[in-house]
Amino acid sequence: MAKKLSMKKRYSALTRDLDWTPSYVDPEKVFPYTSFEGIKIHDWAKWEDPFRLTVDSYYKYQAEKDKRLYAVLDGFAQSQGHLSLSDAKYLNSMKLFLQGVTPLEYAAHRHFAFLARHYNGPGPRFAALCQSIDELRHTQTEIHTLSTYNKYYGGMHSWPSQFDRVWYLSVPKSFFDDAMSAGPFEFLIAISFSFEYLLTNLLFVPFMSGASFNGDLPSMTFGFSAQSDESRHMTLGLEAIKFLLEQDEANVPIIQAWIDKWFWRGYRLVALIAQMIDYMLPRKVMSWQESFELYFEEQMLNGLFKDLEFYGIKPPRHVEHAIAEKEILSHQVYWGLYSFSFAAAFTTTVPDAEHQDWLRAQYPGTFDKHYQPLWDKAAKIQADGGRFFFQGLPQLCQVCQIPMLFTEPGDSTTICQREREYQGERYHFCSDGCQWIFDREPEKYVQAWLPVHQIFQGNCGGPSVPEVLAWYGIQDGDGGEYVGSADHVDWERWHAAAPVRS
Amino acid sequence: MAVRAITETYDFPSRSRQELYGDDQLVHVLWKGNPLLCAAATFRAPRAMPFGEFLAGLIDPWAGSDPDYRPGAGRGWTLDGAAFDPSPEASLAELGVGHKSLLTFEA
Amino acid sequence: MTASSVRTVGLDLQESSEDTRRVVEAIEQDNDDVVVTQIPGLVKIQAPGQLVIRRETVESLLGRPWETHEFQLAIVSYYGHIAEWDDDEIVIKWDH
Repeated sequence: MAKKLSMKKRYSALTRDLDWTPSYVDPEKVFPYTSFEGIKIHDWAKWEDPFRLTVDSYYKYQAEKDKRLYAVLDGFAQSQGHLSLSDAKYLNSMKLFLQGVTPLEYAAHRHFAFLARHYNGPGPRFAALCQSIDELRHTQTEIHTLSTYNKYYGGMHSWPSQFDRVWYLSVPKSFFDDAMSAGPFEFLIAISFSFEYLLTNLLFVPFMSGASFNGDLPSMTFGFSAQSDESRHMTLGLEAIKFLLEQDEANVPIIQAWIDKWFWRGYRLVALIAQMIDYMLPRKVMSWQESFELYFEEQMLNGLFKDLEFYGIKPPRHVEHAIAEKEILSHQVYWGLYSFSFAAAFTTTVPDAEHQDWLRAQYPGTFDKHYQPLWDKAAKIQADGGRFFFQGLPQLCQVCQIPMLFTEPGDSTTICQREREYQGERYHFCSDGCQWIFDREPEKYVQAWLPVHQIFQGNCGGPSVPEVLAWYGIQDGDGGEYVGSADHVDWERWHAAAPVRS
Repeated sequence: MAVRAITETYDFPSRSRQELYGDDQLVHVLWKGNPLLCAAATFRAPRAMPFGEFLAGLIDPWAGSDPDYRPGAGRGWTLDGAAFDPSPEASLAELGVGHKSLLTFEA
Repeated sequence: MTASSVRTVGLDLQESSEDTRRVVEAIEQDNDDVVVTQIPGLVKIQAPGQLVIRRETVESLLGRPWETHEFQLAIVSYYGHIAEWDDDEIVIKWDH
């Protein structure tokens, strides 16, 4: 009987050895996208793929993961698990996840499929193919995981169309559109490296742990199920950067500039996670500051970037600004969402006394001084029968598209304003980081579809708030104040002591 | 061009250029030192609108999100970084308030 | 001894099944100075410089055949580089 091939040889036989060099078509025509960025590749065969998964193993283990996950989802639904959350307001975190993250999984699926065709080397092509299928799996499993809650709670019914229209969702949408409209190598650094490696733990661990601590068994189980795929994605990201840096010294400054850009773009995006972990979880996991210190400063700056020094790569530009913001970021962003949740598909509320105690303990240098007064005033307005909202539309950053609620480095009482005139028109930015990104590629960012500007141009259903919300597909029960909302009223009703029917 | 593109040229108009607003323009207004209002507001207003109308009709209602605000209490105005002392009858255009100009005040 | 050889490498595994517990035990057997911490749902494994998962050790603890691909079901996250993954072992360490 013939001996089995080793894993290494089998992998090669079923992936790389199926490649061929075109003999009658110009290679430039077969692979038209991989030259224009200025990246030089001399030997595609140097791409390392440590997992060595062929499609048969891939499907075997992915199917097993799916089976285990769907068994948990079924059990949760059968046991009325939606009632065993810590509190209905916990679900605001998962509404944001479904609206803002799931569409990115789908976009990643599409773009990795494109890359699976357009990279010259079979190694990265196969890695991209597996990632494309992974991301479709993540899209599907997230939808199924959260459909359990969609039966009972608001804000989850129309996320695909909302992603293309709703103001705060232009933040993740524009982030990913920026990556998809870049070249295939920049995408690899933007998403595989900066997002799926550098920042991934900052995104996923808060959600998964938050789910675990708050009785959200489906999301927690989804998280673990997806994380095993993420370990392959992280590997792709790390291999991407090493491969590109090792292929040619001329690639180093190009890669550095992309790291600088995409760290900052990704960091601004995860501001939405910062507020989630500090404000949207009834049972707390850890603070944003702690997460940032562990998952970014310790593991990345002091771990990964020490490794990359070998190639002449430096820590990302503006990283010191991110470090300086860690005691204020979550508070600024949640106050912003609190101010605008009349136009959102999630609710917000004043943190209760216990929550404020926790915030004070986690942020002794900033919470009492800067943010307690805001909550006191909001609570007073509420006690007087009102509800504080920002009664207007905010100034948005041209690049990250977040309302310009960030403050000057070193002075958290002054809103940070940066401005650039380009071809006779003014553009504004929330930070040096976003301005630097604009200055590199202004031709891209002048095309930004800024929600506030589009509303004013009459492109969003009408001039009034109700007309815009109707165009957004946001319904009664989706947003606004949590106390007295449909979710809150239902939660109280479902948990009221009721006589058991005989 | 600064951007690296696959095409020879990469030149697209701004999605928020002034001509898309006809005779109107966008104006940003920041209430300095009041963290209750998390960011500057963006308004759409006719370029010919007198400043007094802009203040009373647009800025005051927004600033009134803060229940402690008194209409017209704004002082120490700046326009695009320079000191600004607007007369209420003058139009935004006459005062040099352009498309996406930034006004700031304290109160 | 270079600075990089004392940098910690790590693995986060799902704390879900008896099978995974045997894998953790195998790692503890085959590596020096391993630190294993439990947090809800996760087993965090750290070691200075390098971590090895050996198929033979896992099989001897599990009492059944085990291929290294099955490790996919247990892994949540890792830090370091995957230096090797073949029929017999998986090795994680930093490159530089």
